[in-house]
Amino acid sequence: MQLSDVDLYNAENWVEGVPHEAFRLLREQAPVFWQEVPEADGKGFYAITKYEDLVAISKDPSTYSSWRGSTMIRDLPKEDLENTRTIMLNMDPPQHSKYRKLVSQGFTPRMTAALEPKIRKTTAEILDRVTPLGQCDFVRDIAAELPLIVIAELVGVPLEDRHKVFEWSNKLIGFDDPEFGNTEEVGKLAAAEIWMYANQLAEQRRKDPRDDLVSVLMMGEVDGEKLSEVDFDSFFLLLAVAGNETTRNLISGGMRALLEHPAEWKRLKDDPSLLNPAVEEMLRWVSPVNHFRRTVTRDTELRGQKLREGDKVVIWYPSANRDEDVFPNPMHFDVGRTPNNHVAFGIGEHFCLGANLARLEIRAIFDEVIRRMPDLEFAGPVRRLRSNFINGIKEMPVRFTPSPAVAA
Amino acid sequence: MKIIVDYDRCEANAICMKVCPEVFEVRDDDNLYLSTETPDESLRAKVMEAVRRCPRQAISVKD
Ligand code: HEM
Ligand code: SF4
Repeated sequence: MQLSDVDLYNAENWVEGVPHEAFRLLREQAPVFWQEVPEADGKGFYAITKYEDLVAISKDPSTYSSWRGSTMIRDLPKEDLENTRTIMLNMDPPQHSKYRKLVSQGFTPRMTAALEPKIRKTTAEILDRVTPLGQCDFVRDIAAELPLIVIAELVGVPLEDRHKVFEWSNKLIGFDDPEFGNTEEVGKLAAAEIWMYANQLAEQRRKDPRDDLVSVLMMGEVDGEKLSEVDFDSFFLLLAVAGNETTRNLISGGMRALLEHPAEWKRLKDDPSLLNPAVEEMLRWVSPVNHFRRTVTRDTELRGQKLREGDKVVIWYPSANRDEDVFPNPMHFDVGRTPNNHVAFGIGEHFCLGANLARLEIRAIFDEVIRRMPDLEFAGPVRRLRSNFINGIKEMPVRFTPSPAVAA
Repeated sequence: MKIIVDYDRCEANAICMKVCPEVFEVRDDDNLYLSTETPDESLRAKVMEAVRRCPRQAISVKD
């Protein structure tokens, strides 16, 4: 493979897997690489593939803005751009800092730990539904369920509505994959539906507050200001997307990695105390989020490359997580890897708000799977999501020795 | 060496505590506490590692 063969933008090049060979080449030969984009989608961008650069850019929002051109590669029409800026992911300080302070009250270690019993119980129930069957689709039947229920719990979506939210979030993220409805229109419609749903939910909680995150957010204040209706709806939309697909794909992708590395899978089963480092290694290995974009706010330089105000840079998490300068033997999946300072959750200004929650969910699932499905194996081909944004798996048939449900 | 924590940015995720428990402690009340603001020079490398690793850029050091 040569530099001239690299095309990180074309989703076709992500069907078989993350293009790690291209990333290796870029890290070695062109760590600030100019990538063209089809004209209809706007200007090209600089692809950033080194760990150190990803960290520096994420920590410097005044030079590398999430607000100016949003965090998606595709350039948006002005009106759409303005809409995306109501989401904190697409804000810069000082506005971002204010929002972050308000909503982070719902994600402190204590708030997260308080969800643990519920997460454990839900996980046991999810496994109860499949263990007697001896086979299932790991994605739909196991990985997808927990993140959905946790978000639903977090924001107080009634259980009977959660599959609506599931469907909308699929449509939002999967716009590059024909199976989920390949048009931007479908995505916009789904966003509008989530938006309306959030609006109703907030209305209910304002009238009838409970002890869920929605109520906390509706009542919370920063500098004497409350979240507006628009703010709330945007945050809900962000959670429905950011907390769902990512965690689901980490769980599916992590399971896949274990099955493809039988020695590591066995090592983990033999020594469950490796669960924590194993989860971190799955995060490094899978990197569910492939990229985010920043827009340069002033002329600057990166590794000798001049960047001009208005230029787009795109930071690639899976590449940073296999950077030879940071991780010894990066292409080796090692459930005991320490230290493991991966950046699957980003870093700096927008460091994943749900990182601890996601870890809790992932640990709960694998804890149960190790104990109750130790002979789990592939039972059919793994089907991947066609996307340059999310490292996703659509379907992963597995089989195992059936065992009875355990919960009452 | 003097440690300064920007408590407006700190989110108590305890990453600094894992790197340097001698200085940083996140307690059950979801707050970060420093056992000392002026740790011994022998801890400098660890403290600087915490500065680097803090995902929220909440820690700084004055000499
Ligand atoms: C394995 C699972 C997850 C991964 C890999 C992941 C990854 C990320 C990344 C890379 C960012 C940084 C964005 C940037 O720098 O522009 C981010 C931000 C964010 N994540 Fe996650 N995430 C995960 C799970 C979750 C969960 C479970 C939630 C919530 C329930 C969540 C909520 C958020 C929010 C709200 C932000 C935006 C923070 C801000 O703009 O300040 N994430 N996530
Ligand atoms: S690592 Fe940073 S954000 Fe986390 S507790 Fe320490 S100072 Fe606070």
